[in-house]
Amino acid sequence: MVNKNFYNTILSLTFCPRGNYLVAGDIYGQISVFYLSKILNPEGNLTKFDQTPKHTFTIENNLHINSLLTTEQYLVVGTSVGIIGYDWKNIKNGKEAKISWKIELPKVQSNFEKIDINCMVLSKDPGLIYVGCDDNNIYCVNIESSAIVRTLKGHSDYIHDIYKLENELVSGGEDGLVNVWDLREKDVACKVEPWKRDNIARNDLGKWIGAVSLSDDWILCGGGPRLSLWHLKSLNNSMIFPLEDSGIHVAELYEDKVFAGGRSNYFYNMSVNGNIAAEIPVSCVTVYSAIHQENPQKTLCIAGSSPKIDVCTNFTYKDQVLSLY
Amino acid sequence: MVKEKRRKTNSADNDGEVDVYKKVVDYEEKEALTRSAEDDANLYFDTCKSIRQILADIFDLKVQNNSEARLKISEKCTQACLLVAALKKLNRLDKFRSVHARESLSIEKQKVDSTNLQYQNLLYEAGHLMSEYNKCKQFKSKDEDIELISLEEFLKEAPESVTKPFQVTELTDALKHDRHVARLEYELTQRKQLAELCKKLEDEKKQLAKDIIQKKNKLDLLAPRLATVLEATKPLQEQLGLPIGKLYAEHKAARLLPEPLYLLYVYADAFKQVYISDIGLEILGDQDDAQQWKEQQNTFRNSNNDESEQETEQEVEEIAEVKKRRRRKSSIIDRNEEKKKRLLSPHPLAVQIIVKSKEGVALKMTFSYRYQLNIVTVVSSSEYSDNFSAFTAKEILNGNNLLGELFEEDKGTNSPNSGNTYQLKKVGVDSYSSLVTELGNAYQWAQRICGMDFLEQEHEKKFSNTLSQASVEIVLKTIIKRLNSHVALATQLQQLESNIIPSISNHVDFPKMSVSSLTKFVSSSWSNFCKVPSSALFIENEVVGQSDLFYTAIISRNNAIMQAHIVVKNNYPIQLPIFVLLVKYKGELHSGNSDDVRDMERAVNVGWCHGSSCAEWLLAAQIKCLCMYFDVYLETSDPAAFQQNVVFFRNVSGRNRGRPFKFHKIGTGIFTQT
Repeated sequence: MVNKNFYNTILSLTFCPRGNYLVAGDIYGQISVFYLSKILNPEGNLTKFDQTPKHTFTIENNLHINSLLTTEQYLVVGTSVGIIGYDWKNIKNGKEAKISWKIELPKVQSNFEKIDINCMVLSKDPGLIYVGCDDNNIYCVNIESSAIVRTLKGHSDYIHDIYKLENELVSGGEDGLVNVWDLREKDVACKVEPWKRDNIARNDLGKWIGAVSLSDDWILCGGGPRLSLWHLKSLNNSMIFPLEDSGIHVAELYEDKVFAGGRSNYFYNMSVNGNIAAEIPVSCVTVYSAIHQENPQKTLCIAGSSPKIDVCTNFTYKDQVLSLY
Repeated sequence: MVKEKRRKTNSADNDGEVDVYKKVVDYEEKEALTRSAEDDANLYFDTCKSIRQILADIFDLKVQNNSEARLKISEKCTQACLLVAALKKLNRLDKFRSVHARESLSIEKQKVDSTNLQYQNLLYEAGHLMSEYNKCKQFKSKDEDIELISLEEFLKEAPESVTKPFQVTELTDALKHDRHVARLEYELTQRKQLAELCKKLEDEKKQLAKDIIQKKNKLDLLAPRLATVLEATKPLQEQLGLPIGKLYAEHKAARLLPEPLYLLYVYADAFKQVYISDIGLEILGDQDDAQQWKEQQNTFRNSNNDESEQETEQEVEEIAEVKKRRRRKSSIIDRNEEKKKRLLSPHPLAVQIIVKSKEGVALKMTFSYRYQLNIVTVVSSSEYSDNFSAFTAKEILNGNNLLGELFEEDKGTNSPNSGNTYQLKKVGVDSYSSLVTELGNAYQWAQRICGMDFLEQEHEKKFSNTLSQASVEIVLKTIIKRLNSHVALATQLQQLESNIIPSISNHVDFPKMSVSSLTKFVSSSWSNFCKVPSSALFIENEVVGQSDLFYTAIISRNNAIMQAHIVVKNNYPIQLPIFVLLVKYKGELHSGNSDDVRDMERAVNVGWCHGSSCAEWLLAAQIKCLCMYFDVYLETSDPAAFQQNVVFFRNVSGRNRGRPFKFHKIGTGIFTQT
């Protein structure tokens, strides 16, 4: 018989505010907490047991935990039952975690499915977060008052990923659209549709945009269409990354590097001009989440459709593999 | 005067006038003692002084040198001479005195000596007496070694005539002595009495022993008579149809069984009687051989030790000889062959248990005891009707598959007795697994129901009654359950092989119609399974093993084909069958390169929990659902080519763009992602 965890998929990862713990959310509604600093600095040899979660708790059976976010005080979990906040103290203690607060988004469709939250980012204003939902909208939610402060409408299908930089927010959706929002303005500032370009589009994979990222000058996006770099001011395509993939789910502009992953055997660490610095072989079939931190220790964690999490401490090769069971 | 006297004495000496001289001496001696020495000394000094004076006068006169002077000189000379005579006398007295003093001293000394001597004698005597006294004190009498009854007891129990003088509180030494004597006498009489009693009792005992022997002889004579009576009643029993005789015969055979099989027989029989289940229980083999074996064992056990020693010696010789001449090799092989045969030989009797399922499938298990290896082996076979014609169905009903891995990891191909490896190596067999076809499987559970536990092995042959008792029920129940679920599986396989998906109970929710259909169902193998692209992960995680059963099903819709590599565990349905999928549509997709196929696999492999009651439909239900999932997969991934037949809201949803593989029984049925 196959253990159900054998088929587990990790949809989201996050670090705790101090970076000592790693939290993973999967498709079975489980939150798994790893004591990362102990795993990275082991006393003696690591056993298989050490590479499993310190503790686990279930929010609701078979609930997809699509997004996780860390604020100074709370672990924020975005799911189809709402946005749930857990106090980090409870998470680290390992007791059956108590819900600190919960925000349910209003149902707009008559559909019997609840609104799922696919992605979340912090606002520079304290207490505000932006959430990308599968009702095609992006909401700005005040987690202290539970109020929806603002709604960004501009997609015709569900939101895959959002990324925020100062006053600019970029979003990518199943409709193949990449919207760039100036948060001081009311409407979409500009938009890109990569699937409309023949050299970027991959018709067999679809037009969906799985990942977006932003820097001062550049927009990075990918999904069904190839991973591509666009100039923010002119909206000209300046780079198509030569990756062997069948769909991008993770992409990020970080310093002068580009991280990308998805349905591929590798996770890519590249320079902006397309030179591949490292191809990290991944344990999962498809990468759904990759997070990194510099402090207290340089760490890159990659997870996806596998119960395993790959950990790299130098962003170039796999150091350790953690497992949910 | 003195001078004269002296002269006189001298002359007297010469003349022998002793008396006068002696008298003088005696007188002088007395005088010397009476006179005071002090006065004599003064007198002496005065005389000397007078002499000196006279001599001085003479000197003066001489100087004058006249006649007158001369006269005076002679006068003076005379005076001086007289004084000298007086001096002499004094001197003599003194001498006497000192002699006398010396004599008296020596007399005193003698006295002291004698007193001292007397004293020493007395001391010695005292010492001697002392030692004598000690000797007396240390004297030990023989009576002290005798254990006597205590004083109080003696005073209480002895006749009064004896104890009367001693009932006083304070006793003199003499009385104490008497009392002791009395006690000793009393002790003596008592002991004599007891000795007599002892003798009497022993005689009685002898008498009783004699009686017992007599009675035993009588009873022995009774046995053959009873036997003849029994013999005589046999025809009557047969006439009346009573099974007493048969049972008796069976039990007689059971008594000849080796201990482990006897335990099995007894407890299986008990199980049969309690649960009235369709269990056949029989003892196979020749009873005469068993009788012979038993006798042989008894004699063999005695000589066993010597022989093993001999054997080792022989071996050493053999090795030496082999080195010398290789010619004898063939004979050694013969001997080895013989040894091997002896090592592997079973007990002449075996126990057969037949378990039947409702459908009439019978599982025959023959338990044999290999006494040299000290293990129980099982040869199994099954009998079924012609309804099970399909190859896959027959395979699943095979005895080995029915009994394999009845309990975790228990394949029965390794000997549970760790000592066997060495024994087998001795006769040139590498491992037990090569003997399985010849001897049967040595399942762990078979050892347990026969009361053998190799984990707590103390090399003595002890068979645990309680272990056997506890295991028989569990094992037989498990076997019956296993048989039933395998028959259920065989029924399903029978239909599947002709591409019919068997009907499924109403317990599970699933859509009634599917466009995709089962087009092929065949048996497969471990090696084929290994060739499936995504199988490595299953093998790596030890989810699938070599001893499982493998099938390949093909599900197709139009030009899209899906291969399902199905792994059925021996303990179906406790462990679900595992489906490993390979989709051949626009490339080859499997769980290693496609999340959608992985999700589909998850849906079919995980989350069926219906307990053991689902044996009859589980595999069929899984295949049926798989057909539906394939529809969903095709209709969501290529809506243009495949017309939508199932109901779902979204092709994909969530970060992982998941397909709707979750079925909800709402209306005609809806598929969603979560």
